[in-house]
Amino acid sequence: MNKIIHPMEPEELMAYLDGELSADQSAIVAAHLNDCGECREVVAGLRRVSQGLEAWEVKSVDHQVSAAVAVALEENAGRQGKAFVVRKTWRRLFQQHWQAAAWAGGFAVFALVAYMGTQSLTGGKETQALAPITDRPAAERRSEHPTQYNYAPAPSPNAKSQAERVGKVVVGLTSELSTQLEAPDAQAEKVASGGSNLPTVSGPMIIRTAQLSLITKDFDNARASLETILKRHRGYVADLKTGGATGSGRTLNATLRVPADQLDASLIDLKALGRVESESQSGQDVTSQYVDLQARLSNARNTEQRLTDLLRNRTGKLSDVLEVEQEVDRVRGEIEQMEAERKNMSNQVSYATLNVAIAEDYKAQLQVVPPSTWTRLSNASVEGYKSMVEGVMSLALFLLENGPSLLLWIAILFLPARLVWKRVRRSFAH
Amino acid sequence: MISDETLMLEFQGGSRAAFEQLFARYRGPLYGYFRRRLNRDERARSRAEDLTQETFIAVIRAVARYEPRALVRTYFYAIAINLLAAERRSQQRDSPIGKAAPEPSTGDAPDTSMWVREALQKLDESEREILMLREYEQLSYSEISDLLKIPLNTVRSRLFRARIALKDHLEPSARCTDARRKMDDTPSPVKLARVEGEAL
Repeated sequence: MNKIIHPMEPEELMAYLDGELSADQSAIVAAHLNDCGECREVVAGLRRVSQGLEAWEVKSVDHQVSAAVAVALEENAGRQGKAFVVRKTWRRLFQQHWQAAAWAGGFAVFALVAYMGTQSLTGGKETQALAPITDRPAAERRSEHPTQYNYAPAPSPNAKSQAERVGKVVVGLTSELSTQLEAPDAQAEKVASGGSNLPTVSGPMIIRTAQLSLITKDFDNARASLETILKRHRGYVADLKTGGATGSGRTLNATLRVPADQLDASLIDLKALGRVESESQSGQDVTSQYVDLQARLSNARNTEQRLTDLLRNRTGKLSDVLEVEQEVDRVRGEIEQMEAERKNMSNQVSYATLNVAIAEDYKAQLQVVPPSTWTRLSNASVEGYKSMVEGVMSLALFLLENGPSLLLWIAILFLPARLVWKRVRRSFAH
Repeated sequence: MISDETLMLEFQGGSRAAFEQLFARYRGPLYGYFRRRLNRDERARSRAEDLTQETFIAVIRAVARYEPRALVRTYFYAIAINLLAAERRSQQRDSPIGKAAPEPSTGDAPDTSMWVREALQKLDESEREILMLREYEQLSYSEISDLLKIPLNTVRSRLFRARIALKDHLEPSARCTDARRKMDDTPSPVKLARVEGEAL
């Protein structure tokens, strides 16, 4: 029995029919089919199956784009529009995953370097000590990082009014000077539109205040510990009062100022000094006020600079020059006032206020040793002398105060009283 | 002739003409796909049309996320397969009894092709789907493999089994079957090598 050995699987014959073989494999199968009748029969059978299946035809329908498809197309066109162009550009940029990863990595490194650079420039002791805020002068920070100020507050009405005032001053000057002084108006507009040179704050600015009322048994120790706690947390005493009458507990009322970031730690330490009677904390967000103040300050400085330049470089009528000088003085006064206000606000934010009331837990004590007899006699004699002197003094004072009035009344009433007295005596005699 | 992928990218770029060309190319094949696989009733025809339109709507809505990694043809049929699966689930919920496996419809078949439908009904469902994708949708083995998420060799073996079974149903006495059985019994060198390879 001679069996034909086929060099390929029947499935490969099918794949040959379906065009799924490579050119080499197809050549081998084709050569084999020339020689092998059985395989040709298999191929013919498979071909008949395919031909038989072709008998099941589906009548073609004249499809039109339906309303739903048309609507979807319109929606898609609307969605694409402008956004699509951007997406397309980004897709080209990120066509490959590794490219996207490289871009993302590069951006992350850049952001990290930028962040670290910002920290190193704005950092330092002051920033660390005043951790929650950035309270350095706006002009100083602006000069270091002109692009950092991304907080754009609402335009300050003062900024506008300053610009308007400056504009009024300029009316009397030459047209050239007028052109020069139109800049403050532009500056005010820049403030209104959120110019990039505006100062900003890195986080919320909150004035923190806390109240703590304690009762302690060891008042002296608490008083000493209070000093230690303040030194530990770099705080200071703004106000301190102690008092206490004999026979009652002593009290201490103090207003402490501690760095805002040390407030919680200070409270924890202070609570250990005694029993907490009451405690309260509050915070006032002054971020918007601070930023507004900085914007006004910046604008005023710009105005001052422009006026100074004007005085230095330009000439005009004497009256106009004097008016400009007055305006410079006024602007400088406003700047100093705002600067003081800004520092005060920064101080309030950077240093929290802690009101502490410590009361001694007083216990009345029994008088176990009575005073001696001599002491009691001596005390009695002294008290008697004192009461005698007091009595004489009181009489003297009474006479001095009321004597003239008494004499007057006696003089007035003496004769009527004598007359009445005589008549009474006479009637009794009869 | 512009390739489907190019047209798709143009449509992605906002070209409505590109979409209309794609629509013209695929409306017939997609309709045939749905028509052959939906149940045999009067509603199936309009439903096939609806599903064809829904396929294009899905393409439109997802065009922004399209990436030319696979053939557009595969992309379209993948959407069609999902829509058909959803349709079948919906039909099973609506039907009080519900058929476990939907039967292929006549698809406007004349009486002369009735035997084809009956023969296909006798096939195993997975083999029938592969056979229909190959014969009617003209998809390649690799495309079927991608669509159904099964290995390429499985596609080939199931397709072969389906064809042989169909041939048996159509021609029970065909000598082809005997010949194939003889070939299966014959330990060909290639087959031996494959068995050894799999064992390894």
